[in-house]
Amino acid sequence: MAKNPAQRRYMRRMILLSVAYIAAVMLASWLIPDDAAATLLTVTIALVPALATSGFIWAMASYVAELKDEYVRMLEIRKMLVATGLTLALTSGWGILELFTNVPRVQLFYVFPVWCMGLAVGSLVNKVTIGDGGPCP
Amino acid sequence: MKNRLKVLRAERDWSQGDLAERLEVSRQSVNAIETGKYDPSLPLAFRIADLFGLPIEDIFLRD
Repeated sequence: MAKNPAQRRYMRRMILLSVAYIAAVMLASWLIPDDAAATLLTVTIALVPALATSGFIWAMASYVAELKDEYVRMLEIRKMLVATGLTLALTSGWGILELFTNVPRVQLFYVFPVWCMGLAVGSLVNKVTIGDGGPCP
Repeated sequence: MKNRLKVLRAERDWSQGDLAERLEVSRQSVNAIETGKYDPSLPLAFRIADLFGLPIEDIFLRD
């Protein structure tokens, strides 16, 4: 399927944000020594990559809001709902395991990547239930 | 919801892509509506009706 203007804008934003994210992570790794204390300076530097991840979320929300095609928008929203449900179920389940057992602690950093993987599951759910996995922006 | 979109399109010798272009939606959308996988919103249903010059109830039928 040909990319519509919303998909093109989304791709452009995601590429720029990815470059910013990688640069920010490299900078933080270079500036902050391992096991550094949480001071105002280290926290500020460490939060710069978080700005880029917030940007990813903004780009995805803008993409859905800017989609003119209501059917494609429905497919995208369904994917996001599946991803959100899966992420909540997995993180809540693991959180309860952490409360009651000595399973390894999982860092909160992984919540967003898990949600992104949930989008792929959402696409599969669309394919199985509607017969259409939706666009791959 | 059933609809007569495929018949109306065929009468005009339009492909799904032609109809999609006229409605400013994706070909995927036209296919999903035609096959009954997706019921369009009221604004889109009105656009379809306007395009074919027919009332909505002559295009979309009760199940």
